[in-house]
This record gives sequence, structure tokens and C-alpha cells, in this order.
Amino acid sequence: MSAYSLEARRAKPNGWWGMAVFVATEATLFGTIFGTYFYLEFRAPHWPPRGIEPPAVAVPLILAGVLVATTLPMWTAARAAIAGRAAAARRAIALALVVQAGYFAMQMQLFQDDLAKFTPSSGAYGSIYYVLLGAHHAHVGVGLLLDVWLLAKLARGLTRYRVTAVRAATFYWTFVNVLALLVVGAQLSPNV
Amino acid sequence: MAVDVEIGAAGLERVGRLERIWREPSGLVGWLTTTDHKRIGLLYLFTTLAFFLAGGVEALLIRTQLAGPSEHVVGPGTFDELFTTHGVTMIFLFVIPITTGAFGNYLLPLMIGARDMAFPRLNALSYWLFLGSGCFIYAGLFTGHGPNAGWFDYVPLALKQYDPGHAVDFYALGLIFNGMSSTAAALNFIVTLFKLRAPGMSLNRMPLFCFAMLAVSLALIFALPPLTLDLVFLELQRNVGFHFFDPAHGGDPLLWQHLFWIFGHPEVYIIVLPAFGIATSIIPTFAKRKMIAFPLVALAELLVAFIGFGVWAHHMFATGLPLTTLIFFSAASMMVVIPSTIQVFAWTFTVTMGRPEFRAPLLFIGGFIAFFVIGGLSGIMFAAIPFDQQTTDTYFVVAHFHFIIFGAAVFPILGGLYYWFPKVTGRMYRERLAQASFWLTFLGTSLTFFPMHIVGLLGMPRRVYTYSGSLGWDAYNLAETIGAFILAAGLLVIAFNLVVSALRGEPSGRDPFHGGTLEWATSSPPPPYNFPVVPTVSSAYPNWDVHDRLEDARRLELGELVLEHGHETPAATVRDGTLDEILEMPSESPWPLAVGISVLLTFVMLLTAHYVTAGFCLALIALSLMGWHAKEPGE
Repeated sequence: MSAYSLEARRAKPNGWWGMAVFVATEATLFGTIFGTYFYLEFRAPHWPPRGIEPPAVAVPLILAGVLVATTLPMWTAARAAIAGRAAAARRAIALALVVQAGYFAMQMQLFQDDLAKFTPSSGAYGSIYYVLLGAHHAHVGVGLLLDVWLLAKLARGLTRYRVTAVRAATFYWTFVNVLALLVVGAQLSPNV
Repeated sequence: MAVDVEIGAAGLERVGRLERIWREPSGLVGWLTTTDHKRIGLLYLFTTLAFFLAGGVEALLIRTQLAGPSEHVVGPGTFDELFTTHGVTMIFLFVIPITTGAFGNYLLPLMIGARDMAFPRLNALSYWLFLGSGCFIYAGLFTGHGPNAGWFDYVPLALKQYDPGHAVDFYALGLIFNGMSSTAAALNFIVTLFKLRAPGMSLNRMPLFCFAMLAVSLALIFALPPLTLDLVFLELQRNVGFHFFDPAHGGDPLLWQHLFWIFGHPEVYIIVLPAFGIATSIIPTFAKRKMIAFPLVALAELLVAFIGFGVWAHHMFATGLPLTTLIFFSAASMMVVIPSTIQVFAWTFTVTMGRPEFRAPLLFIGGFIAFFVIGGLSGIMFAAIPFDQQTTDTYFVVAHFHFIIFGAAVFPILGGLYYWFPKVTGRMYRERLAQASFWLTFLGTSLTFFPMHIVGLLGMPRRVYTYSGSLGWDAYNLAETIGAFILAAGLLVIAFNLVVSALRGEPSGRDPFHGGTLEWATSSPPPPYNFPVVPTVSSAYPNWDVHDRLEDARRLELGELVLEHGHETPAATVRDGTLDEILEMPSESPWPLAVGISVLLTFVMLLTAHYVTAGFCLALIALSLMGWHAKEPGE
């Protein structure tokens, strides 16, 4: 159904609202992680503890910027889907997917490098550091699966259901991308 | 008062079509794959009542052990498991799921004139997750690993050094599991209330029960993540070697308490708010008038949930936090009085200014108001820091919170069971026996929990498995135990009444109490599609708007808003409730059950430290979700 349009509808679809509430609860989860990070920092005499270098600044910042940039193709995909242009939506999602997957691979590499330097069991700093980054990487991983699934779905054209799916996934990615900035901000805060 | 109208030939034909479209498979397969909110509500009801029975047996064992000094009914280890599992069961496996899962699921779509929840399959999933989590926690108890560190599971006691074995792991993983179910249910309620209200039901015409459920759902959405994370931290520290709670490695044991109570205090309101909702349903019906101060009551319900997020540290007055912190939380805790009092006055004035008919449901609400006021007054006492520091961890606390979470939270549930029994079964319960059961439970509750105030002030600490006969606590404890058995007898009378009436009660008809909300506008029990014609709404008590209901009957004959061509329900705009679109809803599906089983497997693997296998189970979840979405509604 390529000539799909949203003629009479004024309110956002249920799927969009469902994602909004889901994002609200996920945001609270991350808010709690940030809270814990700074709670532990304020109780520690040295943060990071002696013997652990503060994280390098440049690469995580650049990576976060790259991930945030993929918000644009996702928004393009949502617009295209609403307008009924399936092919355009697919192209935009594929473009985002390539960049996001590259980001994910780089982050996995950095994660391993970090683990070689200090482990979660080295103390409270290591514990909350890896929970913070691990939680965000897991969210990116879920987003990648969502992209792949969307591409498979859109290969057979657009339906009302799939348009809502693209809009919800775009909402999710926007959230994950904004979160990337906050996560990198907390991660690099010992450098300030 | 609502109307009974003969349906004409054209109407009957449309109803027949709806019957065919909305029919679900019969038998076991039907129950396993159902997405009908009413059947899911009943599944929740039966499961939560089973857990209520289990939690009740635990309570009676506790009271039997404490009936006299130096008793040996159970040993100290078993006693720890009993009071912990009792708390966890009553909160997470009974009160929250019966109010949201059973009452909420069954009634919300009916009250707002919808044909189902916004996400019917997610609704089924939340039930299967709930069932899985309950079985998971009870598997711990039956294999000798019953949770035993108290329902709030303080570290360092709950750490591996002091609590080896799997008891705390069953608790922590079980509650993460349970939280997934509650989050799914809360999300579903919020979107359903925002989007699926009948045409004309603007937000200010939404029933107060729905406002209460909205407040509960919002509280769950924002309160559960801190608990989940706290439990994740605990598991990571216990089993993988992370450090969050041990000062030797830069952690802090108070971190557990902060995160737990940031969840735990909103939790108290999550428990009691549905009771407010049930009260505001029963009172207008039996007082035969609209609720007084309707908008204020709606706001107060939301405010209680909101303020609940700013008072958590009043559970930590004795932990050595700075005095400024304590004073802030003391003042915030006092603020809860304002929305609570607004509601108490609104309930009592609605009763006194109406023409009240004290049938069993209203009696239970009367008991609820009495217990809520007593429990509320002892609650204000705790907001005074020096008093709290004196009485913390004594039976005074146990007395206070049982007045709230048994007296105030469970009495409306019992009243609600009677009130909606005719709607669900199409039969009447026995009124005189129901009134007798009220007086039994009222007496039992008072006798069980009131003396706890006194022994608390006499210094009896909570959670002790026995006590010496020389302390002057014997008579009070014996009275409490007798009260507990009277209470149990009252509950058994209720169960007897409902079971016998379900089998042999008089037919109740559609609307035996002349209720004001829309669930009474449809037949009892309601058909799978809820309403033959989507009702339109012009006030907060639409079933009392005779003209609108006559109009429904006319529209059925004309075929307006019957939606007889598919599995459809109307969606409205969020604020004004004007008709926005017709949604094609999903039908029954085996996938929610498949996802539920996969999640259960994942948690079993995590518990037994098979982390790689747990990863495969995650893949199973992903595959089930793909199966779930393979068939789109309307295909």
C-alpha cells in the first residue's frame, strides 16, 4: 500500500504513545544510573581511584557526535514513511544502520580496551563505569536489531502498522542518541 | 438511571456479526492465547487470589509462632523466610497485580467505553510475566531458598557473605521479572486511558477510578526503574564481583536504601491509590449522587502519586543522614496530608449528602475510611523525626503500615469483589452473608493490628521470631493472633459467598446497583466486544444519562459506530476525547505466552549462573517477538 496517508487523524498513534511511555521509564533508569555515578563519586576521595587513568576525551566525543548525526536519517525515514514513500524510508534506515553499526563496533573495541586497563571488580568506579556504558551499548544493540527488522518489514511495502513502527523506532533512536551525549558527559566528567 | 431497550432485527443482525468477529477459541487454547482484557483480568484475579491465600497462610504461621512467649512452631530461619515471603507476596503478587491486573484490566476498557486495551497482546504478556515471576519466587521457597532478608532486603545483610545460597537471588531476580510485568501493564493503561476513551469522554469526564489507575501507572513507570537497577546492582555484587554497597571498595550500603525507597515510597501509594479508585466507584453508586469535588479528587489522586516521589528518606530517619536532609523529607511527608484529606472529606461528604444505602460494598468502604484515617494519623506521627527515631523497627511501624496496606488497601478490594461480582458473573452475591463477612473482617483486622501499636510503644521490635514472657507483651500478642484467625474466618466467608453465588446466585441483570459508569451499560457478563455500539459520553456518569443510552440503542439499529466489519475499536484525541480514527485491533495470539516462557527461562539461567545459555534465551525472546509482529492486525 504505497499511497498510504494519514488523512483524518489528528492525534499521534498508539504505538507512538507506547514508545513515549517506554522511553520515559528507560530515561528514569538512566537517570538512576547517573545519580548513582555521582553519588559514588561524591563519597570517593579520588575519582577515578588512584591507579586508574581518567578516560581519553577525543574518541568517545567524536563517536557520540557520529551517533547523534544518525538522528537525521531516522527522522527522514519517519517523514518518508508518513508520506507513503517506502523506498525512501528504506534507504534512510539503511544509511543510519550502517553508521550506527560502525559506531557499535568501535564502542565494543573501546569497551575491551577499557577492560584491559581496569575491571568492574576493581571497585565502585569500575562497577558503575561499566554499568553506565554497558547499559547504553545494550540500547544501541537493540536499536540495530530494530533497524534490521524494519528493513525486512519495509521490503514488502508500507502499511499503517509499519508506519507506526518506523515512527516508534525513530523515537527510540532519538532517545538513545540524546542519551549518548549524557553518557559521554558523565564518562568524561572526571576530566573536567 | 439507565435503560433496557429491546433490540430490533437490524440490531440483532449486527450483534450476531460482532459475536462472530470477536469470538475466541474455546477451552484451554483460548485461555492460553487470549487477548481479551476481561479474560486476562480473570486470569489475574484467580492467580492473585491464590497468592493471597499463600501470603495469608504465611501470616497465620507468623501469628501462631508469636501467639505466646517462647513458642516453637517454626524456627528462626523459617520465620525469616515467612515474614519476607509474606511481605513480597502481599505487595508484589497480590495487591498490585489484583488492583492493576485484575480490576484495572477488567474494568478500565469497560469504564471508558472501549472494546479492548491499547495493546492487547502486551496485556497478555504482562499476565504471563506476572505468573512466571510469582512461580519463580515461590520456587525459591519450596526448594529451601525462600527470600529471608526482609521485604526491603537491606545490605549488608543481603550480601553474599552474610546470606549465602540463593535466597536473595530468588528475591532479586524475581522482583526484576515482576517489574517487567508491572511496567508493561502500566504502559498499557496509560496509552489506553489517553487514546481509547469513548467519543465525548474528555479528560474531565473520565471516571475517578480511571484517574486513580492513571496515577498508579505513572507512579509505576517512574518508580520501578530505581528498584530494578538496585536489584541489578545487588546481583552484580553478589554473583559477578562488582562493588556498589561495600565501603572497602568505594561502595556505600546506604545507596541500597536510597534506591530502594525512591521506589518503595511511591510503591505505598501504588498500593493504596487503586483503593481510592474503588472507593470513588462504590460511593456514588450507593449514595446515589455524583462525587463531591470531582476535579479536586481527580487532582488529589494524581498529587498523592507525585508527592510520593519526594518523601523516600523518611524511611531512613535513623540512618544518620544530615539533619537538613531529614527536615526536608519530614516537611515533604507532612504535605501528603493535604491531598489525602481532600479525598477523605470528599468521600465522607458524598456519603452524608447523598441517600446512602449501606450494602456490603459501601460497608467495606466505610471500614476503609476508618482504617485509612487511623493509619494516616499514625503516619503523620512518623513524619516527626524524634518520634520516628524512637519507634523505628518496632511493632508500631507494623501496626501503622498494616492499617494502610491491609485496612485501607485491601478493604476496598474486598468491597470491589462484591460490587463488580454481578457484572463479572451475571449473578448476585448473598447480601446478608456479605454484611456478616464485613463485620468479621473489620473486627479481625482491628483486633490483629491495633494492639501492635501498644506492644510497639512497649518496645517490641519487629521481625523477632519469639520473645520472653517477662516483658508484658503476652496478652497483646495473643489478642493479635486471635484477631488474625477471626480475619481469616471473615475472608473464608467472603470466598464461600462468592463461590456459592457464582454457581447458584440469583441472576443480577445488567445493572443491579444503578451504577453511574459505563461498565453497567452493557450486559452481565459483558460480551467479548464489550458494547454492541460504541457509547458516546456527555458527563462523568454516563450511565445516568438516559438520553445518551437511548441514543446508543437507536444507533445500533442504524449501524452508527457499531464497527461490525472487523476487530475494531475507536481511538480518540488525548484531551478532548473526540473521535479520531478507527483502529484495527490484534486478535488472539500464542506469542505473548512464548515470550513469557522465554523470559522465565532467561531468569532461571541467570539464577543458576548459566550466562551463555541465558544469552541464547535472549535470542529466543527476540525470535518470539518477531513471530509476534509477523502478522499485522487486519491481515
